Amino acid sequence: MKAEAEVGVYYLVSIAAALLLSAALVEATGGSWADVVGALLNGSVLKPGRIGLTIGVAVPMLIVALGTVISTRAGLVNIGQEGQLLVGAAAATYVGVELGGPGPLVVVALILAGVAGGALWAGVAAVLRYWRGVPEVLTTLLMVTIATQLVGYGLKNQRFLLAPADGRANRQQISEQLAEDRRLGRLVLLGNELPVSVFLAVALVALLSLVMARTVFGFRLRMLGSNARTARRVGVSEVRYGGAALVASGAMAGLAGAVMLAGGNFGNYTLVPGFSSGIGWTGLLVALVARQRAVSAVGVALVFAALRTGSGFLAATGVERRITNVVEALLVLALLIPPALVFLRHRRRAMGLSAEQLRDG
Amino acid sequence: MSPGRGEQGPTPAARLHGISKRFGPVVACDDVELSLHGGRIHGILGENGAGKSTLMKILIGLVVPDSGTIEVDGERHQVADPLDAARLGIAMVHQHFSLVEALTVWENVALGDAGRLNAAAVRDRIGDIATHYGLGIEPDAVVGDLPVGMRQRVEIIKCLRRDPHILIFDEPTSVLTPAESEQLFGSLRDVIVGEGRAVALVSHKLDEILHATDEVTIMRQGRVTARMPIEAADAQSLATAMVGRPVSLRSERVAFRLVDASPGLIDGDRPEPSEPSRGLHAPTVDPAGDSSLAAAPTSPALQLLEVTVRPGSGSRSGASGSANGPGRSLLDGLSLEVGPGEVLGLAGVEGNGQRPLVEVLSSLIVPDRGEIRVDGRRIDPTTPGALTRARVGVIPEDRHDSGLVLDMTVAENLFLIDMDRVSDRGLIDTRQLRDRAAELIAEFDIACDGPDAALWSLSGGNQQRVVLARELSHHPVVLVAAQPTRGLDVGAIEYTTERLRAAAEDGVGILLISSELEEILDLAQRVAVLRQGRIIGEMDRVEVDIERLGLMMGGRSA
Repeated sequence: MKAEAEVGVYYLVSIAAALLLSAALVEATGGSWADVVGALLNGSVLKPGRIGLTIGVAVPMLIVALGTVISTRAGLVNIGQEGQLLVGAAAATYVGVELGGPGPLVVVALILAGVAGGALWAGVAAVLRYWRGVPEVLTTLLMVTIATQLVGYGLKNQRFLLAPADGRANRQQISEQLAEDRRLGRLVLLGNELPVSVFLAVALVALLSLVMARTVFGFRLRMLGSNARTARRVGVSEVRYGGAALVASGAMAGLAGAVMLAGGNFGNYTLVPGFSSGIGWTGLLVALVARQRAVSAVGVALVFAALRTGSGFLAATGVERRITNVVEALLVLALLIPPALVFLRHRRRAMGLSAEQLRDG
Repeated sequence: MSPGRGEQGPTPAARLHGISKRFGPVVACDDVELSLHGGRIHGILGENGAGKSTLMKILIGLVVPDSGTIEVDGERHQVADPLDAARLGIAMVHQHFSLVEALTVWENVALGDAGRLNAAAVRDRIGDIATHYGLGIEPDAVVGDLPVGMRQRVEIIKCLRRDPHILIFDEPTSVLTPAESEQLFGSLRDVIVGEGRAVALVSHKLDEILHATDEVTIMRQGRVTARMPIEAADAQSLATAMVGRPVSLRSERVAFRLVDASPGLIDGDRPEPSEPSRGLHAPTVDPAGDSSLAAAPTSPALQLLEVTVRPGSGSRSGASGSANGPGRSLLDGLSLEVGPGEVLGLAGVEGNGQRPLVEVLSSLIVPDRGEIRVDGRRIDPTTPGALTRARVGVIPEDRHDSGLVLDMTVAENLFLIDMDRVSDRGLIDTRQLRDRAAELIAEFDIACDGPDAALWSLSGGNQQRVVLARELSHHPVVLVAAQPTRGLDVGAIEYTTERLRAAAEDGVGILLISSELEEILDLAQRVAVLRQGRIIGEMDRVEVDIERLGLMMGGRSA
């Protein structure tokens, strides 16, 4: 179709522009763009085992993004995934370390604890939103800081998260490592190691797509997000549906935290300050770039994960590894501009016309 | 109004020549010619999307045409933006007011002035204009406190202050009471035209065009289909030229009154304010009659008892535009009753509680006091969607506000109220959804690319049909129709009116809320007048006294 070809051209042009800008930036600071691209590709896919690593990093990003899709579709702006994820990871750590019992059961319990932790953290924002009318944009964001401080405190205190003195050498803030039977399994595929959580993520993508498109619940959630007044008229309780969406998106972030902890690839099965390492923020971006569509989020998460794992190989090129942050930001912009352009060109015009016809008697 | 002065007369004050404008695939204006003459009122009549508004926006510089020229006083000019238009002495009174409610009248009038603000001079000028044109107004009144008619005066004064040469009125009476429109056209004719200004009057009301203009240009689908001096026009020919086919004017409420009353209107220089109303009263056949009287005594379809809504309280729609302003009581102990199969017309000047009433009946606000009963059962208004579940259908005044979800498909919009009908244990049966939507699309003749088309891709008239289709297919006990035909063209008005009438015949109680008396008198069997949030009078259709009704709406007791 003509319109789709147009969109494709927009994407090509804007991505090319983003890459060109990145290249110019690298060259201007004395690096070699070819080397950078080579290193990024080596680090993310080409070198042995890196594909598995990239997928392992993409999994929590994707799960966070799926949670973001839920809240955004309901018209809520949850931007505190980083904190919800951290609280989830902390809850998972506590349960994973302290709970007795057979390993597989503990794994399930620690994942549920992560879900509960994230849900609780977002739940505070939900309560404030629907009880006192405090905008969730503010509360979710500010609660990231609280989460960081709280987990930091827990990590300083042996009663909570801090590992016993003999197990942690000289480190001040580190949790006990998860015992080996309390970790998510890893499967080896063509020389790549993947955490089994990848299946969970794929299943969640399918489930969320189905819920949003095919269930009455998802329909009502979307209605709430698109036109809250119409939704209220037909009986969609803002408190119930909006609250559920916010809590669910926090639960997903918490799940991502638990999966990061028990799945490897992050922090070596231990909780440390800064454990969340920006996965919450990136997941938010993934959802944004994927335009709140679960299936698109898979591809976007992989690209963003590749940038992250690839950046590990940048040191050899002499280019500051933070350049990938710039590339990432430029790519986000590049991927957001085409849909915005399409909206402006088509949708606005159509709306403008119908508004005009409305006025035109 | 001498019929001799036609198109060939002196140089037109403004001449649009060969104007074309496309919006993508839509041709809004196609080689349009229009001449406005000093001292004459030129009507521009057409359906939705006929291109009238676009044409006027071209003249005022809001839209730049693809081709064509604009001449003012015989000279070609570029009108690239409204500032150009202002320099050429072209001014427009917009249908939707552009007033700042929190500011006073004189502040609004002075808005946009450059340099130092001279309050006294502005006030004096307003006073001058007010006396000169009979547009009396208090310069220090806060606009938010003024009724709609007064606000329109402010808009007109804003235009007249710049002493325009060419004055455009875009649907000026859609917000006015009958008496207010009479007065408006009175001053137009007497003063503005007498001073040699050229006036363009955009309207979809046949009687307004017949009554107030000297000549008329009729547009359809972007083209001029007819142009004639008004003496040569009658309601039927205008309607046919506008729609492109003969229209039944029996249900076209506006023309309805004109068909029988036109001789008196056209001959007389200016009729007494009440005269057209009498004309309206006489020929109307009571549409009610048999259906309701014969029915066995049942519980009313809808019953409101002492419903009170105070501003700011009870509203669950915090950020919504429900409140008209602080300090105004929205509904004040309102009681009414609509029987099954009955049409109750709720007349009243806008801003007297119509909006909060519809919002209460849409579960958008919870009344502070009072009781709502549907089909005899008491409804708990605090439960979201309780009224919808009790089968209270609503055609909202602003369908984009609470009637439709633009981002969803046509099919989804057709089943917004109860997706449950096409789903099984919470899972939507998309095939059934699509099939049943297709049926409704066919039944209600909704022009769209099928059930999966995005709602925003539909024209306004078709969006309104989606609302109508949904609310009627939901088998309502009561249907609340708020200004259901506002902004629609003759064909769509005819269609909507017939649908409402048919629904009433099927036993649906209809609460028709309208600021246009003709619409109410065409459909309703009983008329109640809403003023300041309460019903101040009620009468049967057969004993309606238009004069008394008008007085009641205006707040004078009679």
